[in-house]
Amino acid sequence: MQPRRHEDTKKKYKRSSSCLRAFVVTFAFVFSWLRFSFAPAGQQRILLLAVAAEIAVFSAIAQNFFTAANFFEVMRFSVELGLLALALTPIIITGGIDLSIGSMMGLAAVLFGAASRDWHLPVPAAAAIALAAGLAGGALNATLVAGLSIPPLIVTLGSLSLFRGMAEGMTHAAVNYSGFPERFLFLGQGHLWGTVPAQLPIFVAAVIGYFVLLHKSIVGRAWYAIGSSAAGARYAGIAVSRRLGLAYILSGVIASVAAIIYVAHLGQARSDAGAGYELDAITAVVLGGASVFGGRGTLSGTLLGLFAMSILQNGLHLAALPSELTGVLTGTLLVATIAADRWRVRRSMTVADHEQGEISVRNSQVAILCATILAGAFIVAGTNVWLSRSVAPSARVASDAAPPAAGRRPVIAMMPKAKGDPYFVSCRAGADEAAKELGVELIWDGPTSLDAAKQNELVENWITRQVDVIAVAVENRAAISTVLRKARDRGIRVLTWDADAEPDARDYFVNQATAEGIGNTLTDEAARLLGGRGEFAIITGALSAANQNEWIAFIRKRLAEKFPDLTLATIRPSDDDRDKAFAETQTILKVYPAVKLMMAISAPAVPGSAEAVRQAGRRDVKVIGLSLPNINKPYVHDGIVQTVVLWNTRDLGYLSVYAGSLLTQNKLQAGARSMQAGRLGTLEVRGSEIVLGPPLMFTKANIDRFDF
Amino acid sequence: MRAKALKRYRREVSVAIAIGALALVLAVAAPGYFSAENLSDLFLANMPVLVVALGATLVILAGEIDISVGSVFAICGVVAGITAKLGMPVTAAALAACAVGGLLGALNGVLVAYLHIPSIVVTLATMVALRDALRWSTQGAWIENLPRSFQWLGLTQASYPFVTFGGVATLTLMLAWTLRHLAAGRAIYATGSNPDAARLAGLHVALAKSSVFVVAGMLTGLAALLNSVRFNQIPSNAGVGLEMKVIASVVVGGAAITGGRGTILGTVLGVVLLGAIGPALTFLGVSAYWERAIQGGIILASVTVDAVRARAKRNVPQLATTT
Repeated sequence: MQPRRHEDTKKKYKRSSSCLRAFVVTFAFVFSWLRFSFAPAGQQRILLLAVAAEIAVFSAIAQNFFTAANFFEVMRFSVELGLLALALTPIIITGGIDLSIGSMMGLAAVLFGAASRDWHLPVPAAAAIALAAGLAGGALNATLVAGLSIPPLIVTLGSLSLFRGMAEGMTHAAVNYSGFPERFLFLGQGHLWGTVPAQLPIFVAAVIGYFVLLHKSIVGRAWYAIGSSAAGARYAGIAVSRRLGLAYILSGVIASVAAIIYVAHLGQARSDAGAGYELDAITAVVLGGASVFGGRGTLSGTLLGLFAMSILQNGLHLAALPSELTGVLTGTLLVATIAADRWRVRRSMTVADHEQGEISVRNSQVAILCATILAGAFIVAGTNVWLSRSVAPSARVASDAAPPAAGRRPVIAMMPKAKGDPYFVSCRAGADEAAKELGVELIWDGPTSLDAAKQNELVENWITRQVDVIAVAVENRAAISTVLRKARDRGIRVLTWDADAEPDARDYFVNQATAEGIGNTLTDEAARLLGGRGEFAIITGALSAANQNEWIAFIRKRLAEKFPDLTLATIRPSDDDRDKAFAETQTILKVYPAVKLMMAISAPAVPGSAEAVRQAGRRDVKVIGLSLPNINKPYVHDGIVQTVVLWNTRDLGYLSVYAGSLLTQNKLQAGARSMQAGRLGTLEVRGSEIVLGPPLMFTKANIDRFDF
Repeated sequence: MRAKALKRYRREVSVAIAIGALALVLAVAAPGYFSAENLSDLFLANMPVLVVALGATLVILAGEIDISVGSVFAICGVVAGITAKLGMPVTAAALAACAVGGLLGALNGVLVAYLHIPSIVVTLATMVALRDALRWSTQGAWIENLPRSFQWLGLTQASYPFVTFGGVATLTLMLAWTLRHLAAGRAIYATGSNPDAARLAGLHVALAKSSVFVVAGMLTGLAALLNSVRFNQIPSNAGVGLEMKVIASVVVGGAAITGGRGTILGTVLGVVLLGAIGPALTFLGVSAYWERAIQGGIILASVTVDAVRARAKRNVPQLATTT
């Protein structure tokens, strides 16, 4: 399409092919190192085969998977999780667990952001504060676990809530620290010598440090001894609580290091940093052969487990397979490797000759592994059949309507904020419709829950896959912009939809409605229903949801400017969970009897809130909100929900794909004042924003005309 | 005799005292908390948690753990909804939900008891895999347009709480009695205390372990049904984070995470305490932003006080390094 891009690609590949050789040699080296110098336990050997199988399968089915550039990209995205997995390894070896590491990351990230932006401290001082917080948090866990002998699962379950809660409390879950100095961001985004991610040396240093500590020092021996038998270790004269405490303190500190790298990587710090990472880190460690009963596990195993997970995720993205497969396959892999290992051990025990057993039971391992791969292949094949079925009619339509321009069908990769959210599912329907109409290939994928880091990772993978257009519903403005700029540099056309990135990071923003427009519409509607005076309450999504927080800011502004007699009584979170919205509304109705209107601004929260009002029999309370028509139809017809505000989500998906397609044909040039968008007709283009039109108001009168 | 009973239920007594203290603060600061309406709402909201926690108590007593309950909960809700939409009566939906829950529990149980994979690993794997599989198969769509007879199990909104209260109370008492007096119950305690000793005593350890997972799965299915019938739509993302809530309740109620120690009474008290705190903070006017920190602090404080007291009494250093 564009000559510049092809030249770039060629240059990149010339460089990569030499790097490729280096990569193969490195891999062979690592492989033999693991195989011979460590004599890996059975499970590690099985895992090694699984990783090799992953690499083989994805090299065959995924685009640009087996390249040096992709290898380093996988490494970059493994660093934060890898650090947590490192920190967890000795803890699991002692027979403990630390569930609080992800939350510690959130707390440290927020403290780092506050120190550098609000307290105007230089980066090293801010980093010191974050590390000190990690030390303190680790020390709290250490005191309770090692000092008071409380089971670590309970202690860290408590500190998981405590640390995350402190991060949310400090920032009201809404503050988003960004604007860090360039030199600091280099740590997370830059390349050393043009190829090596800048954070990789830190990770390597941490690996070496932990390796020495775990496998070459008294401390490490003590950890293994404690894990095998704590009482035995004590009788052997080991200072059990001190050694045990050290593992937890280190894990707090390492979680802070991970937090600082995370902030540098994404360019932003928010209280939800690292949410859910603890489970991924535990999975990596256990996959690597560590026993949760303690006494067994190695650092090389943890690294192997980590790469098995990262490569799986990366490969699935590059093969354009849906992200949900990651969870299914990781779970299968976890059970399969351990089951295969258990089987081997049991077989070898009946043979009663361990040396013999290790070699002779290869067959069973191979059988299990084959079964796993086969199961994976079936799933992949299944999706392919399903995909090709869904694509087949589109090809026919395409040949009728618009013959593809240059032999190859352009690929438009489109990302929602979260897959499985009904809002985005309905956007997808429109996107599919436009893709069929235009004969373009649509890749639809995204994080399975709101996660800025996962969005970045997916964009990086799409750059590697060399799609033609990337269209993102942005979860975090500062974080996504750096990778989107990179995509533009590589000649990929970039669109944002639903929520915008920095203006220089994208070609166009498909704007469904401004935050100000939504805030004002909702406030005006509330004022109309309440007659300009009274109290109302807001049910939001997650407390840290960026969109909702922006709307709330405009709602407050509108209230101050136009409706001084209208009071916002309280704001409660629903975490995008219908049942939680229901319970919160029940409580609000009792605690704030003066509240006469519930404003729910998350799609699942509106029916939850409405059901609570209905069951309470409070016909005097009205419900409005931002949601989808289908799930609200019963409540709108019952007269509980007065108004649902939304744009036509189908049209939003449709328009985004249409704009993407026009961009690939260079039919949408800078300075255009309008564009033709198929069945939507002519739409206005304001600067670099394509405007969908005014928001829709669904009421009893019109809601049945919409189906999404 | 009485002193001995107090000693045995030391942990339950501490939780009861904590509940009493919370009730006292609320009675002074926000008497509206004790309105019949609020208590009934709280009961209905926490009943599914209690039913899941009963199953989790069995699993934890047997020395295992189940963190896949949230995913199983979501799947069973969807299954109940689909059954009801096919025009089956609500009993069929209940049976389907329990059966699917039991099946998924059996999957966990077999992997744990017969393949000897640690339960935290097995249920971590099933939690992730089942959640993503459900997300993939439903594509996030909700089950809508359920038949009228589905909501409130075909009862009315007014009678439903009484019927379910009776049902759940009977279930709880039966479980407590089973654990205390039946051989099956004692086998669970024996397995959790020391599986080797239990096997040497002639107990079928693997059977005990796998059956607690099956029962826990069935109870999760029942809880999913009881939660679904309060609404007329079923979301496909229910139960996220349920496992943490349930485990915290069981553990705060005094069950040892290492197995062999704990009671149903403790679990009930744990669910009451943790279920009451959230809305109580709203009634007391605490900002939502600090709620999570306060809840975490309460869990930590309650186990710390208990550990310090135990330590002061015994005055012998004790080790609990295992999960």
